[in-house]
Amino acid sequence: MPSMSLFLSQLFNGLATGLLLALISTGLTIIYGTLGVINFAHGALFVVGGYAGYTVYGLTDSFVLAVAGGSAVALACGLVMERGLMRKYYSRPPEDQILVTFGISIILVEIVRGLYGGVSLSVTPPEWGQGIARLGTLIYPLYRLETLGIAAATLLLLYFVLYRTSLGLIVRAGIEDAQMVNALGINVKRTFLLVFGIGAMAAGFAGVINSPIVALTPDMGFRYLVESFVVVVIGGVGSFPGAIIGGIIAGEILSLTAMINPQYSDVMLFIAMALVLIFRPQGLMGQEGRE
Amino acid sequence: MNSAQSTTATAGTGTATRRPAAHNTGGAMRRQLPEMLVGAGLLVAPFILPALGMSPDLLTRILIWGLFGLGFDLLFGYTGLLSFGQAAFYGTGGFVTAYLLTDGVVPNMLLALVIGTVAAAVMGLIIGYLTLRRTGIYFAMSTLAFGEMFYFMENSVFKDYTGGENGIAGVPPPELSLGFINIHISSGWPMYWFVAVLFFLGYLVARRIVRSPFGAVLKAIQGNPKRAMALGHSIQSYKLIVFVVAAAYGGLAGGLLGLFQSYMPPDAFALDTSAQLVIQTVMGGAGTLLGPLLGATIWLYLYEGLQQVGSLGPYWKLILGIVFVVLVTVFRHGVAGALISLFRRRRQLPADVDDGASTRVAGSLDIVPPLATTRPGAPVLEARGVSKHYGGLKANSDIDFTLREGELHGVIGPNGAGKSTFFAMLAGELPTTTGKVFFRGQEITGIGVTSVCQLGMSKSYQINQLFEHLTVRQNVMIPVLARLRGRYRADLLSNLHSEHLDAQVNAAIALVDLSHHADTQVSEMSYGEKRRLEIGLALATGANVLLFDEPLAGLGPEERVLVVSLLKSIRQGRSMVIVEHDMDAMFELAERITVLYEGRKLTEGTPDEIRRDPSVQAAYLGGMDDESA
Amino acid sequence: MKDKKTLGQAMQTQVKRRSVLKAGAAGVAGGMLLPGTARVALADDKKPLGAWPAGADGDSVFVGLTVDLTGPYSAQGAEQKNGYELAAEQINAGAPQVQKISPLIKKGILGKKLVLGSADAETKPNTGVQAATRFIHDNKAMMIAGSTSSAVAIALQKVCNREHTPYFTAISGSNETTGVDCQRYGFRLCYFAYMACKAIAPVVAKELGKNRKAAYLTPDYTYGHTTTQSMKEFTEKEGWKTVTNQVHPLGAKDYSSYLINIANTDADVLVVVAYGADAANAIKQAKQFGLLDKMKIVIPYMSAYLEKEVGADVMQGVYAAQGFWWTMEDHNPVAKDFVEAYEKKFGGKPRDSAMYAYLALVLWADAVERAKSFYPIDVVKALEAGELRDSPVGKVTFRAEDHQGIVDFPILRGKKPADMKNPEDFFEIVQVVSGKEVLPPLGLLGCKMGDYV
Repeated sequence: MPSMSLFLSQLFNGLATGLLLALISTGLTIIYGTLGVINFAHGALFVVGGYAGYTVYGLTDSFVLAVAGGSAVALACGLVMERGLMRKYYSRPPEDQILVTFGISIILVEIVRGLYGGVSLSVTPPEWGQGIARLGTLIYPLYRLETLGIAAATLLLLYFVLYRTSLGLIVRAGIEDAQMVNALGINVKRTFLLVFGIGAMAAGFAGVINSPIVALTPDMGFRYLVESFVVVVIGGVGSFPGAIIGGIIAGEILSLTAMINPQYSDVMLFIAMALVLIFRPQGLMGQEGRE
Repeated sequence: MNSAQSTTATAGTGTATRRPAAHNTGGAMRRQLPEMLVGAGLLVAPFILPALGMSPDLLTRILIWGLFGLGFDLLFGYTGLLSFGQAAFYGTGGFVTAYLLTDGVVPNMLLALVIGTVAAAVMGLIIGYLTLRRTGIYFAMSTLAFGEMFYFMENSVFKDYTGGENGIAGVPPPELSLGFINIHISSGWPMYWFVAVLFFLGYLVARRIVRSPFGAVLKAIQGNPKRAMALGHSIQSYKLIVFVVAAAYGGLAGGLLGLFQSYMPPDAFALDTSAQLVIQTVMGGAGTLLGPLLGATIWLYLYEGLQQVGSLGPYWKLILGIVFVVLVTVFRHGVAGALISLFRRRRQLPADVDDGASTRVAGSLDIVPPLATTRPGAPVLEARGVSKHYGGLKANSDIDFTLREGELHGVIGPNGAGKSTFFAMLAGELPTTTGKVFFRGQEITGIGVTSVCQLGMSKSYQINQLFEHLTVRQNVMIPVLARLRGRYRADLLSNLHSEHLDAQVNAAIALVDLSHHADTQVSEMSYGEKRRLEIGLALATGANVLLFDEPLAGLGPEERVLVVSLLKSIRQGRSMVIVEHDMDAMFELAERITVLYEGRKLTEGTPDEIRRDPSVQAAYLGGMDDESA
Repeated sequence: MKDKKTLGQAMQTQVKRRSVLKAGAAGVAGGMLLPGTARVALADDKKPLGAWPAGADGDSVFVGLTVDLTGPYSAQGAEQKNGYELAAEQINAGAPQVQKISPLIKKGILGKKLVLGSADAETKPNTGVQAATRFIHDNKAMMIAGSTSSAVAIALQKVCNREHTPYFTAISGSNETTGVDCQRYGFRLCYFAYMACKAIAPVVAKELGKNRKAAYLTPDYTYGHTTTQSMKEFTEKEGWKTVTNQVHPLGAKDYSSYLINIANTDADVLVVVAYGADAANAIKQAKQFGLLDKMKIVIPYMSAYLEKEVGADVMQGVYAAQGFWWTMEDHNPVAKDFVEAYEKKFGGKPRDSAMYAYLALVLWADAVERAKSFYPIDVVKALEAGELRDSPVGKVTFRAEDHQGIVDFPILRGKKPADMKNPEDFFEIVQVVSGKEVLPPLGLLGCKMGDYV
């Protein structure tokens, strides 16, 4: 049986992993919550951000600039996607939106592979993130501890933008009733463009933040996409607090199952998702009736 | 237009004389054209396609994907359910078949295939039951998650049976034992013929399903699931069955994959497999049955072709991705859809003519017989103390309402009076907070629209709820099917058309004066025509109680006259409730009127009483400003 | 019921067509590609086998490569492709470098030009099988080669065995490949898990001490479990203890919880069984969790480029087995030739993926020359003859009983970044292990070789 200190360590690790997962799935939530589009290219944007960050990091040696660069490239991709394609898809059935974003994800991933090759690329943590922290008996990487803070701060910032600014007002109105926002004559087109951009940027941002922890490979995105699905389904699709709670639950499941029987940690994740879909299909924090 | 109107209590006693069947030879030929073309295509492919560099292996592989896709197309193309977890069934069928044959548990190849297919279908039943609770993106995401779960389980829990990452190799080459003769099917062309025969059988079955009453309901579910439900179909059962059918097709295809290459690969379970199926189906054209086959041809041909073009090898997937995005964006029904519409345009064929439909018009439109206990003047529909609260908001409070047999009862009230909420509760769409609703003495509070419709009550909606991508005939058929077949029947292989069905459909179409538009796609019709079809759908359910939610909304003066006279003409044998803003029409039509105000019943009486009631005038004067809506 | 009749007729025609096709056997498919070729070879009592004789009739001979150009092992796949291309170029030119390995090779093979075709196997068994059958049936390939994942390799060698076409893995670490899943027409040149574990255990016991406590990170699939099992067996023989075995899903990204579990034990050696990007992530994260301060890392079967993926800083002091390391050129002229030619043609130092690919193609060409025929049975028998050839890793040959390559390989230790002479100088070679001594005893892994036909 696991000791108390191991249990506490894993519990903490679950929280840290969970917040990171929440951060990774945020972009998906923002875009779905506002535009009603499930962005299957979310994982690919995550990868694009990570790789762009890697390049900038290599050029400038500054992790902060890498984060900025990675986010910017993902933002640009998001804007181009929205302008070029997604705009035509808002009025089409959700299935079509899934298909086109899925197609875009293939293109993005293969471009990344073409540019960077298939060898996985490592990013060393920035200087301020190297080393370890001792939390009681637990030894924890300093960078992971900091990502806990970064994730929390970013989620808070996004919360602020989404709930305390006029953009946020429109976005939230969009979450409640996109047609109404339309009717109010607000420049919906530009708002949608902006929101899609922010969602893509959030994915890219998470991609850079995650890159010192997990080596970059072109194919890694799909796995993160699936994990993001699990997070948002548990939390409630389109719900911002839901994404955080879903992330933490997913993190704890992974961490605690790994303590008892590591083989089943992935299967448990999907079982949890299935249970939520059966007993509370709208997700823990989701609202009834939104499909 | 209302000449044919009379009431018959029992179904199926149409009075018109029986004419010779419309199924003439030419029509039958034309209807079987796709089957014949596919059969011919499969026969000549080995003699033509190798010249294009297609080997028997490639063709067999394409056929296996095509067979897998037949099921998926029924699910996605026809019913509108986008599953990202079909690999689970492909893998299940494949591994069960491969395991049985390799371990010698079941030496008979066909039997092993059948068992694999059944196993996949059973998995389909379980996963379908869980995932079909949600639609749209939730459905896509949860099927994806279940698919991933199966993949992990193949690699861990079941690895003793599946060989984990190594899969099952050494599947014995297929042998057909027909009792008297054993045919050994070697790789190459014999394998092609074996798979081609199974594909053809699979195609025939899929075609039958598409052209069965069951298939007609599937298309309705794709077009407008809520209305399909309201017209009396238990759509959940239909979805589940089609999900199981798709799983079975996947299982069969998976089994064939193992037989074909004598090896069952673990990646059959991978997400990539599901994704590839989706891409192929969409590229080829969803909703055409042959789309997946076409898509598989494009994918595999492109994959093999690009490998041979020097340095393009590593970029085949990128090119494929671009082709896919372009196809999704430009051709909404893929390559097959584009070809079909090109063909139709060239031949100047209308969108979708149903050759099989009889032209006979029933002497009357059947009406579900009321329960034997009812007598004229007895209450048909009763609301007792009905309230609906949303949190603190009281939409309806304590409303009593009675509709009597044969009566036309109006409900009026200024905006925000709670008419729509009340109506939804009457129709069984909304559960009440307190109070009960009775239909001919039977409590129907919140039992759901499907059951209400099957009892003989139907609602026509304020905002048209039609099946836009279907023709008028196909629209009207949906409620008639619900009446003739009940809420659910698994008649997947039956013929859609029967004399009685067609006659009833034609009668309903004639009743709303759309006979000349019978084969027009609804999306191409004018608003007024759609409005009449909306009423026609409710009528075609055979309901003896009809609820009309603002039937005149949005109509021009001429159309108004038409609809009012239509409403008058259908009164015999039916009791009706109408919510309407048009006071003049209401006073002209209704025998009794109930006035709602601020969620309560203000008063009730004959049109004359209501007209003179000062409290009604006060209520309306207060809310007159926003009466324009 | 006219339509039924039509269907019936259709079925009849179908049956007729089938018999026509059967009668024509190879005629329709084969004849279309190679019209009018005389089947001379049939004269000496050899029945057609695989793509033979059609594939050996022309002026050139085709070899099909199943390499991973996309998917998790696309780096290895690209390298293998390079290795094969280099070998083909040298064989076709009758280059002196290749003659050092096989003096029999003149220009081409038996005077025929060697033509390569490659297909992306995507690291998916199904795709690999699809590509291989196409090569054999359509391109009349006389040999198939290439793999990184054992799942793909095993699938391929079974299919090639059915098709009576020699198949050579490039990389395949699983015990099954030349164990329970061994095939008459399948050949594995490279070292694999059992050999690696048997070889590395005494080396690390000597270097790190006999009383070590090991923790394992094992990916949850057959390869992972069998490798861990072998490694446990051989290290425990040396006196090591196994403290914990953390089984994680294949393709896991985040190892934090497993690492915390390990940190909670008193283990002082971390054995990383995972391969490719999984191994890179596990090791990187172990470093971040401070585990490497008190633990040494041992990688029994290391994927090419891992050192680049995690960086020299993390790699220093890590013990790993690999098929080839380029500094072997210092002691072996064949290796020197190979590394130089590779660097000239593609830039960058070759890894074991490229070396095995290169060598396998040359050894096959050598076997064909010795058999003086492409006839698959003769070629297989020539490969089984035990002829020793020089190679970048010393003398090599195949063991006839299980078709496992008897091949030496190095045990490496990561250099300190400061000690690196150039950016590619990641490792020092602790020992070059004699492949012969670490082979599993015959029959241990359950190989039962099938018949030639």
